[in-house]
Amino acid sequence: MSYRHGGYRRRYRDDYDDRRREVIETPEDRLKTTIIKFGEVDALEELPGLDKQIRNHQPLNIPNVSEAFRISVTEQPYKIPFYAALLRSLYNASDLAEGETEAPVLGRLILEDFWKGFQGYLDKVAWRETRLCIQFFAHLTNAGLISPESMTALLQSFVAVLDEFGVSHGRAKKAALSAGEGLIIAGPVLKVHSPSSVNEMIAAIHTYSESTINAKWLVALNSKVSNEVSIPEGADEVLDSLLNALNTLNEGDFSGTADCIPQPYLKGEGAQTDLPIYDLPSVLVPPEIIEVEGITSEAGSDAQIKKEEWPEYYFRVFTTDVSPDPNTPAGYVIRSTLIDTIDIFEINRKECARLLLEYPKWNLPGTFKPKPGSTVEHEPIPDKDWQLDSTVLETILGVYLVLPESSQKSISYISLMTELCKLSPSTVGPAVGKSIRKLYSALSESLDVEVSRRFAEWFAIHMSNFGFQWVWKEWVPDLSLAVQHPKRAFIRRVVEFEIRLAYHERIFKTLPAQMQDPEAFVIPDQSPSPAFDYEDPLHPHHEAAQSVLNLFRGRANAEDVIAHLDTLKNQLEGADEGHANLDSLVRSIAVQSLLNIGSRSISHLLNGIERYLALLRNLASGGISSSGGYGNNEAKADILTASASFWRHNRQMVGIVFDKLMQYQIVDPTDVVNWTFLNGSVVGQLKEIEKPLNLSAFEWDLLKGALDKANGRVVIARRKIATLRKEDDDARARAKASQGMEVDGETKPDEQDNVENPALETALKASESLVREQKAALSRTLEGFISCLAPSTGDANPSPGSRNMIGEEAWNNRDAWGRDEWNAWETWGWYRQFVRAYAPYLRIYTNTLETVSFSKFEGVNDPAADLLKKLWHIATGQE
Amino acid sequence: MAHVVTPLDQPSNYKDSQARVDRSRQADLLSKSTTLYIGNLSFYTTEEQIYEVFSKCANPEDGGGIKRVIMGLDRNSRTPCGFCFVEYYTHAEALASMKYVSGTKLDERIIRCDLDLGYKEGRQFGRGKSGGQVRDEHRQDYDPGRGGWGAQAQKHEIERRREVEERYADAQDGPGAVAGGGGDWKDQGPSQSENKLKRGRSPEDEGENTRLRTRTEEDLDDNRM
Repeated sequence: MSYRHGGYRRRYRDDYDDRRREVIETPEDRLKTTIIKFGEVDALEELPGLDKQIRNHQPLNIPNVSEAFRISVTEQPYKIPFYAALLRSLYNASDLAEGETEAPVLGRLILEDFWKGFQGYLDKVAWRETRLCIQFFAHLTNAGLISPESMTALLQSFVAVLDEFGVSHGRAKKAALSAGEGLIIAGPVLKVHSPSSVNEMIAAIHTYSESTINAKWLVALNSKVSNEVSIPEGADEVLDSLLNALNTLNEGDFSGTADCIPQPYLKGEGAQTDLPIYDLPSVLVPPEIIEVEGITSEAGSDAQIKKEEWPEYYFRVFTTDVSPDPNTPAGYVIRSTLIDTIDIFEINRKECARLLLEYPKWNLPGTFKPKPGSTVEHEPIPDKDWQLDSTVLETILGVYLVLPESSQKSISYISLMTELCKLSPSTVGPAVGKSIRKLYSALSESLDVEVSRRFAEWFAIHMSNFGFQWVWKEWVPDLSLAVQHPKRAFIRRVVEFEIRLAYHERIFKTLPAQMQDPEAFVIPDQSPSPAFDYEDPLHPHHEAAQSVLNLFRGRANAEDVIAHLDTLKNQLEGADEGHANLDSLVRSIAVQSLLNIGSRSISHLLNGIERYLALLRNLASGGISSSGGYGNNEAKADILTASASFWRHNRQMVGIVFDKLMQYQIVDPTDVVNWTFLNGSVVGQLKEIEKPLNLSAFEWDLLKGALDKANGRVVIARRKIATLRKEDDDARARAKASQGMEVDGETKPDEQDNVENPALETALKASESLVREQKAALSRTLEGFISCLAPSTGDANPSPGSRNMIGEEAWNNRDAWGRDEWNAWETWGWYRQFVRAYAPYLRIYTNTLETVSFSKFEGVNDPAADLLKKLWHIATGQE
Repeated sequence: MAHVVTPLDQPSNYKDSQARVDRSRQADLLSKSTTLYIGNLSFYTTEEQIYEVFSKCANPEDGGGIKRVIMGLDRNSRTPCGFCFVEYYTHAEALASMKYVSGTKLDERIIRCDLDLGYKEGRQFGRGKSGGQVRDEHRQDYDPGRGGWGAQAQKHEIERRREVEERYADAQDGPGAVAGGGGDWKDQGPSQSENKLKRGRSPEDEGENTRLRTRTEEDLDDNRM
């Protein structure tokens, strides 16, 4: 924005100077850019020119060129075959000018330097870069530039990872993909060289994949509530897809590779035998880098949190004539390349969408249908000729819906899909519609609750970006299903999310009359406004509440309000109204009145809380007038109850208020967990859904909010400790250095090391107490699920249907399920999500939690208890 | 990656004319910023709607979350005038919003995010001559979401307007007008008798206030859209 001229120039001097400072691009930078942009119009036509440009560049800086290759290979995976062709071309002898002697082969020099970069990625255990470089080497093996022995050895060192003792699934998976994808590409050469090595590698991946059946069951997208471990039919786990593709290729001795991956380097020349063949040096895959310096937790283990420990299932939307089956070689290659593209270009969704829709030009011609209206001559390959937009959308949805969580934030995939729709509305739009219908129909086929929640999230944001246009009419017949049936729960959830993004009337008018009917329990007839319990002048405590409200309105100071509440309590006592718990009543009046003052907006809420922090802490600490104490569980539960009641028509606000009550340390995450298991279902506008406990997506969000808060605090505390330690070390090092200079080497390190930094001490203490809170929150959640799903007599909140719906037989009878069974079904789903999503945290405390929560089931014959334990054992890696 | 395309999480060229920092200092602050400026909002969009969208970029498990939302108000009428600040606890969350939310719709308008130096007292008010944002001074088009309002407007929109007009009638000026949102966890210790009833402000605010004083007189540039 440079609209400042004339008189403004002096004033905005620094801006002006700034603009003038242009980045100077050296000829080397230009060459690098040209290599990176290779193929933007037509790779094969550009190749001779680029080859010449590289050769003629004077002076030629090999590391610069090989860096350009490394960037290109690791950041543009769809172009890898063409970079292999470029490198192959650089192996050709130069036209020698007179008097020149034969120089070393240029391509070979680049490859040798490229290898150093690969070694760097490997040392850092940068998996994606490593894997993509392996793909590049595999192509070079086909091109005859790399020896098959050394390529086989390279792949074998990755397969060897699968046999490491206690290898994590994340590491094994990435190693297997690296080796397997290399094999898909280099198979034609490697199979000829050594059929047995190829077979052995495939067998090793197979053996590994077989060993993960329990983990697969835990994260498959539609596993049943059952004690039997069985993988749903037609599910696509990524390693299984890889194996299916590999087996197909292997059966045909990899003749199929040429049908699924371009091999432009094989064109023309034919097999040239005098190429200097490169032997890849042998490697060892180094162990994973421990990112955060873990501090010793109470269990004595290093409590660093690592994610991505599970098999990956991808949701499949279309049939094989629309999008390729990922279990075929061509389908696997396409999906894997698209996924890499999605991951790499996460930084710019607009460019990412464009590149995804340009993908066909990097695959074999005839793989995808041309754009509608395209005049380019098109010869479809039989059994291919897929629809690009549908394939791309399905792939994005696939990575988005992976369990227990996607590798990037939900919103990143959602925004990317939005961008695709904007780029090509006429073709992506219908694909979106079909995907929504497919997912919706999967809801009644045991689609995982977390997948369903993410589906709802996508749906609402998508609609918010495209005018809330959905053909709701077609789902009207489903209103006859049980009120807690996953389809109806989904409709309700989506409508609620849409209202949050817009406003009640806007969404109300998009729905057909049948859904507007309050009896349909789709949308409330009112906008989600606050519900001040003491609003009604006839309410017995209306006057009392008004007096408190007036103090808040007049911005009385907190002490005065506290004093007034004491008086109020005495008055109420005297009034002999027989209220069971006067403390609770007074807390409710105080909290609701404060929320009423803060009900206009979040800012008003925060202002209210901050102004009356002392009051809230006083309320939380128990007796209205009592002093001291860390907070009283009953009092904190009362505060949460009053808040939830005030916002009972607006679940979003309940979540926000709870979050801020935790943030301001009025309540702890454990209080929220406790409260949710006991009271969660009182919140919501649609009354039919109330009690008994339904642990639905809303309650899950409250639990998740509390657990994430507890975990996040530990992260902050540890970060702080790490910073302080580093500062300490630096200070010590400096002191040492200066001392060293003075005393000439005679230092006494022991004395200095013992001086503890008081800030560090405080931080360590804080961390200890936060770790305790973390453990308590996790433990309470586990307890809550157990008392809900495998209730003993007298447990506070049993889910009445929890035992009736375990197993295949119960599932087959689901048409007869009522509200309780579907409630229980959903609660089981959230338990499953709890143990797998929080597994990295739960594993820190496995033994303690297990003793506390599961020992009571010792020797008990209860299918619900068995299932709880089974899921727990799998998630914590014991089964 | 960054070699092939430009990331979307780069701050714009905007320079707050009232912030007394030079370009390099500004770049340094933005590289750690946890605050976003959000533009092109409808005047009727609420903080809760904003919270809903921006919470999609929050990382609570990493110690993050939305700290606060500060609605931009017309200086005179104390009604929303189409911009706001969203403050997170972590820088990564602000970057995520730049990548995933900027350029998408909220309340059926395409909103724009920009990394911001951080909220300063007074910045919640528009800097245009008539109280709103500068861009609305010169705007020629009819924009129903930003005050370009006709009699034929639909009923619920009028209703929304009424709510909006009342909502911030109590908006304050001066220090402490805007809540902090809650700071990091602190050990509260056993003694709870807190007598300081002065409003707690986040430590960052205090630090920044001394570092970068803002000018009090009117300036004429807030031409960020």
